[in-house]
Amino acid sequence: MVGAISTPVLWEACKKDSATAISTETVSNSGSGTSSTTCAVAPTETEGPFPTKTPSGYVRSDITDGRTGYKMTAKLTIANVNNNCAALAGVIVDVWHCDAEGNYSEYGGSGMQSTNYQSVHFLRGRQVTDASGLVTFTSIFPGWYSGRATHIHVHVYNASGTSLKVTQIAFPEGSGSAVAIVNGYSKGMSGYTTNANDNVFSDDTTKLEIATVTGSIAAGFDLSIKINVPG
Amino acid sequence: MNNNAIVFCYRKIIDSSSSLPWEKMVFEDSYMEFKMQFQNFSQGLPYHTFAELVHQRPDAERLHFLVSPSISGYIKQLQGGMPDLFDALGKRFLNFDSYRFELINSDIRNPSAHQVAISFYSNTMIWHDTIGNFLLVSDPAVPAGNDGTLLTALYQLQPFVSIHSLKLKI
Repeated sequence: MVGAISTPVLWEACKKDSATAISTETVSNSGSGTSSTTCAVAPTETEGPFPTKTPSGYVRSDITDGRTGYKMTAKLTIANVNNNCAALAGVIVDVWHCDAEGNYSEYGGSGMQSTNYQSVHFLRGRQVTDASGLVTFTSIFPGWYSGRATHIHVHVYNASGTSLKVTQIAFPEGSGSAVAIVNGYSKGMSGYTTNANDNVFSDDTTKLEIATVTGSIAAGFDLSIKINVPG
Repeated sequence: MNNNAIVFCYRKIIDSSSSLPWEKMVFEDSYMEFKMQFQNFSQGLPYHTFAELVHQRPDAERLHFLVSPSISGYIKQLQGGMPDLFDALGKRFLNFDSYRFELINSDIRNPSAHQVAISFYSNTMIWHDTIGNFLLVSDPAVPAGNDGTLLTALYQLQPFVSIHSLKLKI
């Protein structure tokens, strides 16, 4: 019985037209498997868990991740300059901004990293525009850091991930504005960079990059802006 | 008997030759995210590879971090079980507490150049002794029996597996 079972294997190995026998290409990358290089016992585990296709952790509407600050709802409408600024549906919109202290999420310096990637990537999110070109994010009102006015980063991609526009959203400032009401959280506004002095926004003389911001600390703030991209 | 506390690190390499479904999904989704995030740094620059970009723009090192959410859902699907590592009985014996994603190489023109690594850091294990090529370890989170008996596993270190940290005589 053993011989009968082994025969096809030997036959396969001896076949002259076997593709594996003919090829002289040398493997330059043997992969990450460890079974061939050690004398370890072969795994004998029940299969699973079975993987399923999962969207990026960026895809979510609420990007707060437990960061403290005044609630802000941001509504971005994406329009197509190549189509009379009609709404652009089905495009990917990434946003990210700093927390109340002015810090962005990023890897820490050590080689260790928490498993909770949702919170590590705080205040970063991705949505796809609806039929009216709209995406909505729930977040906190951004703080500020030295050298920059309050801002939100935006990157708009087409459905296949090709960049259509990298831009930033500026905030209205001055008496009665949300920036003035929030007053830099605990940091205050001493040393704040205004839009006019900001190296990104200072050339925005037509104020296309400045959002409309309403609301209050108690009720939360509502930000809205229309962003025109070459769709 | 040493009874030192150790943390294993397993650096799992995933590239175009990876064949398991989980690895393929990590490969495809991290490549797509790489191509998207790359454009945050490459605008106006004639570069196509991660290495070129980092050389010219050191802040592109942030791409490791920026690409990592593309695979966080797949990490969750592992349910904390250390992939690919088996004890002398051929069974899984380790959990991981944390991980870190890194880009090794990539090229927005060519998916076959895309190569990433995920370093998995195990839960703390007690290393009692070394028997031949095997480490005798136990999980301190599993309580000893009434008579003090500990459940143990034997594990042989493999390529891409290292002892990440050591705490003497806990």
